[in-house]
Order: sequence, then C-alpha cells, then structure tokens
Amino acid sequence: MASVLARDGLLRRLRGDGVSRPVIDPGLAGGLRDWLEDGLVESVAALPTGADVVRVNKDSLNRVLLCEAHLVAGRRAPRVVTAELARGSLVDALFRQWVTTGVIDDPWADAVASFDVDGDRDGVVAFVSGLPEAHRCRLAAEVAEHAANLVERWPSPSPAWLPRTQERVEVPLCGGRVVLAGVVDLVLGSPAHDRASVCLVELKSGTRRLEHRPDLHFYALLEALRSGAAPFRIATYYSGTGELDAEPVDEDTLVRALARVLDGAIRLCRLTAGVEPERRPNNLCAWCVGLPGCAPGQKRAGTDVALVSSGHGGREGALS
Amino acid sequence: MTEVPARVAWLTDALMAPVADEVAPAAWAQLRDELVRDLRALGAELPDGERLQVDAFKVRLAQRHPDRCISIDDTFTPSPRTCRRAVGVAAVNRCVRGHSPNPAVAVAAVLAEGLEDAAVADRSGAVRAPWWARWYAGLPDGGRAVVRAEAVTWATQLLTSVDWQQVPRPVIGGRDDWWQCPAGTPIVFKGRADVRALVDRRPALLVVGTGCCPADWRVELGYPGLVAALCREARVSPCRVVGVWPQSGQIRILPIDAAALRATATAVVAGVATWVDSRIEKERATRDSVSGALSVSVDGALA
Repeated sequence: MASVLARDGLLRRLRGDGVSRPVIDPGLAGGLRDWLEDGLVESVAALPTGADVVRVNKDSLNRVLLCEAHLVAGRRAPRVVTAELARGSLVDALFRQWVTTGVIDDPWADAVASFDVDGDRDGVVAFVSGLPEAHRCRLAAEVAEHAANLVERWPSPSPAWLPRTQERVEVPLCGGRVVLAGVVDLVLGSPAHDRASVCLVELKSGTRRLEHRPDLHFYALLEALRSGAAPFRIATYYSGTGELDAEPVDEDTLVRALARVLDGAIRLCRLTAGVEPERRPNNLCAWCVGLPGCAPGQKRAGTDVALVSSGHGGREGALS
Repeated sequence: MTEVPARVAWLTDALMAPVADEVAPAAWAQLRDELVRDLRALGAELPDGERLQVDAFKVRLAQRHPDRCISIDDTFTPSPRTCRRAVGVAAVNRCVRGHSPNPAVAVAAVLAEGLEDAAVADRSGAVRAPWWARWYAGLPDGGRAVVRAEAVTWATQLLTSVDWQQVPRPVIGGRDDWWQCPAGTPIVFKGRADVRALVDRRPALLVVGTGCCPADWRVELGYPGLVAALCREARVSPCRVVGVWPQSGQIRILPIDAAALRATATAVVAGVATWVDSRIEKERATRDSVSGALSVSVDGALA
C-alpha cells in the first residue's frame, strides 16, 4: 500500500499536478537559437577548415567548464569503464526495460543482455566479465537492489503518455559545425500544441548531487531548441534512494542553461582550434588522468599520482 | 478540427501540398537513357560475376567516406537499431489505422505477431515471418526489451511528426522500390520511403532520418525519389520527398523536378563509380593475396 502511494506521489510530482502548464512562446526557441549562434559565430569562424564538428554534450560541457586541461587529458587517455560507470549503465538499461515492458525478472541477466544485443559497444559486458568473481557478485547485488527499488517505487507510466526511452536529441548550430547533443533517459508527453506538455526524466544510480541540475537544464534547452517548445517539467530520479528532484521549466531556466552552454561551447571551439587548454585547479584534480603533467593540479592535490575510482592501478579513492 | 503543433501542421501541409511541377516525359526519358548508359559502362567494369546492389546507405557512404567502401562487409547483422524501423513502421501503421491506441501497445503487438509468425514459419513454412522475427525470437528478455524500447521511441517520433487525419490512405512502410538496370547490367537500386501519400495521383514520400540533417540532404532525399521514378512512368513519378529528422527537429522538402532528378542521378552515378572501383580493388587484393600465398607454398615446397 505504501509503495502504491509513493508511486502515485511520484506521478503527481512528474505531472506537476495543481500547477498550470506554461503557454508556449512561439518565438522563444528561435530567439534562443539566434542568441547561441550569435555568441558562437567568432569561435566557429576561428575553427580551421576541415576541423571536426564540435560536439557539446553534458559530459564535455561539465568537464570543459571544470577545467579545460582535464577535458583534454581525459580525451587522450583510453576510455576506462569503472564499477560505478558499469553500475550506472546497467541500471539505466533496467530502467528502460521497466518503463517499456513493466517486467524485470532477472536484473543481472537482463541488464547484461541489453548490452550484448547491441554488440557491447561501450565495453560494459567485457568489463563485468573480466571482474573477479567477488567483485562481480558485489556489482550484481547492487544492480539487483536498484532494480528492486525501481520495481517497488517507479510507476509504470500510461502508454498514452507516449513514454520513450533513451531519446537522442541533437541540435546543429552554425551550419552544423557545432552540435549540441544529449540522450534523455525518459521523455513523457506528446509534442506541445499551445501549452508545454513534455516532461524529461534523468535516472541516476549514484549519490544525489547538486551538479545534476545543470545536466537537466541543458536537456531542457535542447528540447526547446529541437521541438520549439520547452518541457514543462524536468526531473532527476535516484534509483538508490527513490528521491525525485523535479522542477518546472521557465524562461530563466533556459536562459541560465544557454549562458552555461555558450561558455562551454566557446571553450570547446577554442580547444578544437588548437588553443592551449586553460588549467583550473579544482577538487577533482586528484582524480585527473592529466595530474602527472599538471603542476597547478599537483599543487592542489598535494600529489602527482592520480587516484582511480575503482581500484585498477594507482591509488584508490571514492569519487563521491 | 484537431489541434496539432505548428511544426506538425507545417510538415503535413508540405507533404500534401498540390503538385506544382511535372517532369516532362521527354526530359525524363532522356535523363533515364543517360543514367542507363552511364550505369552500363560502370557495370561492365565490375569483376566477373559481381552484382552491385545500391541503397541510400551506400550512396551516402560513397559520397562522404569513399575510402571506407572497400572495407565494408555486405553481410547484414540484425540489431535493435537495424530493426527499429521495420517494427516501428508496422506499429505506426497499426496506430494510424486505429488498431492500436499508441506506439507502446502497437510495438508490443507487432513483436508478438512476429514471434507467432516465426514459430509457424519454422513448423510449416505456410507463413512468411518478418526478417527480424527469428533473430528476435532467439534473444533473451533483456535483449528483447531493448528492441522494443528502440522501436517504441522510433515509432513515437514518426507518429507524432505527421497530422495523419490530413493524409488520406497513407502507405506506411510499404514495399521498397527495386529497379534493375536494363540489358543485364549487374546493378540494382533499392529505394525506401517510410510513408507514401498520394497527391494528385502522384506519390509524395516521407523519409525519417537519424541525427541531424546532413549537408548533402538533397541526395539523401533525392535517391528514394529517383528510384521510385525509375520504377514508374513519368506522369506518376513522385512529386516530392519530405525528410524529417526527429532527433534534431529538422524538416526538408525536395520537389522531384527535372533538376532534382538530374542532380541526384549525377551524385548516384558518382557513388556507383566509387563502389565499382572498390570492388575492383578488393578483387585485385584478393587475387594478389592468393597468388602471394601460392608463391610462398611453392617456395616452401622447393625448400
């Protein structure tokens, strides 16, 4: 009974019951796009001929705004799947399955199969297969716990709300030389006619953090630019605890997101043009793969040996 | 009157707009003759026994990454991404005909039917199952869930892109257009549209793209228009191709007039030439490696 009430409460918060949905301003999306393109025009003009498309996603945005050198070092290093990343990917897959089918019988087998079917492009299956037995069992237990939480607490949305999972959104700017891109875990609601009608949900299997908000604002901006109508609500759902951070979207939200995107996109363009990355020592310097070659970072971290988050070489530490 | 988002109304109006231009039969016949002549010349260069099947993907690849044509393996591998369109169009068809209330229900029904057909086809051969059904039937639950989720997302995007009430008797999915180059030329074109509507007795095609609209969108839209035109008489050739890229919200319209057909034919011939070159190179590389292996074994035997 308690879980039914909890599900109802979650649905009400996603729907924003009792709050009138904003009327769509038909000129807003065009205005935001013009603002972005005007802000980017000089940076794009400075890109060398034949340069790669500058892709701005939540990860590149977070990293470049944190420290340009951190982003560059991360790009040069081979991609490493960690236990935290694998757990996040596996829980994401189960969330998708739960929303789509309403059934999760064997969380570990289902999650692993969801990557297998697509050729394991992210290397998640290879990573979990290579884990020592004890680590794999621990990870499987964590995934099962998240799955149980989802089944107990997350309401199956009505198919009439047109739920679609892992929806990719791409917004080309400046003739396609810059592309804003994202993959939204769950989109609810049909396209808007006169009032905003879409709700975006991001699932997180990790700890609740303030930094997750800008990711959502970025997605709200992408949706506004893509469809011409901003979502009426954006939310982050934490599968570990069942917490839901939901907020309405207004013009201020979009303008703040735009300023952040513009700042990040300009930096990404500069890096693509070959400008030396700016170093900004911060509290993640200790985990940066570029630490051995970064004097300001070493000063901040007090060491020149980078921490790793899952114990494969280097010193161990916890990102959270 | 149903109220729909302005973007949807705009796309639907563009798809269903009255036909403005017709391709003069004489101009079309000339263009077609020139295309056949060019293709016959290229077909004659293909290694013995080779047959080249051209589709939109191959035209795109030849245009954007000609260097990759030689390494492409023609073997088709099913995946959630490759079958989402097949399942998705069948689901949208169900929704538009009123057989399912929404894409999630429709996709579930299409997949369940596919499983049944695959089972019957295995036993009796009386039913022809969709191409993806046997592969899907062999997947574990987690794999099936991904296929279903991908198809629901794809189908929802198409279903919500068009005001279906304004499109009388649309053909959703439908058969691909196949055109065999005449006179025994071993080149075949395959054209695909996601939706076909009739406007003044001529088909208007709708094509759903992935990601952002590319810079060479005219070729991307022109190709299915050209293949459809090659399969028909000039007076019933397609009047336009509308492209929609739901992930980026972009829409493009290509009227299929003589200029569009000519430009597309030129690009397609260039693409075919790239593929013919890559087949020749591939054959040469295979021959060299065989003769190399032979000489090694001969040397080995002599030693």
